[in-house]
Amino acid sequence: MKWLAAVCLSVLCGLAHAGDPAYTVRDTDLRAKPFADSDSLSVIAANTKVEIMQRKSSWMQVKVSGATGWVKMLSLRLGAAEQKKRGDSGLAALFNVASTGNSGSTVTTGVRGLSEEQLKNTRANPQELEAARAYAVSKAEAKRFAQAGKLGARDMAYLPEPEGDN
Amino acid sequence: MKTKITVAALLLTCTTFSASAFDFSNLDIGKTVETLKKIKKANTDIDEPQEIELGQGIASNLLGAAPLMKNQRVQQYVNHVGRWLAMQTERPDLPWQFGVLEDNDVNAFAAPGGYVFITKGLLARMSSEAELAGVLAHEISHVLRKHHLQAIKKGARTEVIAEFAGEVIKEKGGNPALNKLVSAGTEVYTRGLDKSDEFEADRMGVVIAARSGYDPFGLPAVLQTLQAINPQDSGLALMFKTHPALADRLSLLDRLMASSFERFESQPNLSGRFMATLGGAK
Repeated sequence: MKWLAAVCLSVLCGLAHAGDPAYTVRDTDLRAKPFADSDSLSVIAANTKVEIMQRKSSWMQVKVSGATGWVKMLSLRLGAAEQKKRGDSGLAALFNVASTGNSGSTVTTGVRGLSEEQLKNTRANPQELEAARAYAVSKAEAKRFAQAGKLGARDMAYLPEPEGDN
Repeated sequence: MKTKITVAALLLTCTTFSASAFDFSNLDIGKTVETLKKIKKANTDIDEPQEIELGQGIASNLLGAAPLMKNQRVQQYVNHVGRWLAMQTERPDLPWQFGVLEDNDVNAFAAPGGYVFITKGLLARMSSEAELAGVLAHEISHVLRKHHLQAIKKGARTEVIAEFAGEVIKEKGGNPALNKLVSAGTEVYTRGLDKSDEFEADRMGVVIAARSGYDPFGLPAVLQTLQAINPQDSGLALMFKTHPALADRLSLLDRLMASSFERFESQPNLSGRFMATLGGAK
């Protein structure tokens, strides 16, 4: 039950990150409402600290130097500001990808998780595989489930890599 | 004939490049060309039943490392979400299976042929069905593009792949090549895929979530949540080791989703159904 405590708290309030600090990664319009065509209250400069109030799809409601409004969720990174270094290393990491294309040689935390050991020493577990199979659902069941949630299938093509990656 | 010679020369050039990986340098030329022909066939010829068989072995190993969470309601819920997502893709008819692993680490895994697992630790940090859908869609994309299968092929000795690809699926346990590839395939999870595979899965994942009628910002929301966790948290060690930095993944999605996703903004995130299902879970 303990594992859900965090979920319950955040979701029952509807505020997954309420009160969390975040900072802007680019100049960002602070808007009156969570819509692109809503009035811009001000422009928040990159690397400004804000406090999160709630999220609505791609928008975050934030408090910033006394004002309250909505910014694009992806213009924010959670955590305290001062993140210039992080941006630099991110770019460096991207260049690294371009040259090696391999994650193994570039990514390491120096900390070996228990799970890595678990994976290295694992044995097949056919009983659990059988149990997993029993939970699988058919396409018809999945469709009913989607209908119950008012989820409609939409058309959208996959998107190409943005310019400048890899 | 001339064409054949050209092809052989081309193949030989390839051998020179990859001699260290394939270790053919000590073979005579005729044999090398012969082997290369086989390899060429093998590389493209792990068919779908074999892909599924391989994935099944890998999934069994994953479940050996962490068993399923013992909660039928949660397991079936995750299967419903996952199957609905998979139906909106180019491989709707794989035997898709989804599962929540009884493990407090934060991670998710996909195995060839349609096996997708997420840890309880990751599920606990989500707050809506759209977030779950975003993560599952990322994993589904690895299966669609056969990222793990390619990683296995890249890492394993080519003769083993040729042997496996040449086999008709026989009685259980009767294929030593399969066992080797299952072991190799399990090891991939400790090293991780290429970063470009992870970025591709992010790009495809948000589209699959949008196609399925969900608020497509679930995946970036989860990545943002994970970014707020102390990176020293040992529950994140393997995920961090095997994936590109969260900041880089978020930057990519930021650029990607800037304009083309606005029309999906009003799609539901179904946080109510998510909570109703997980609320009574333990």
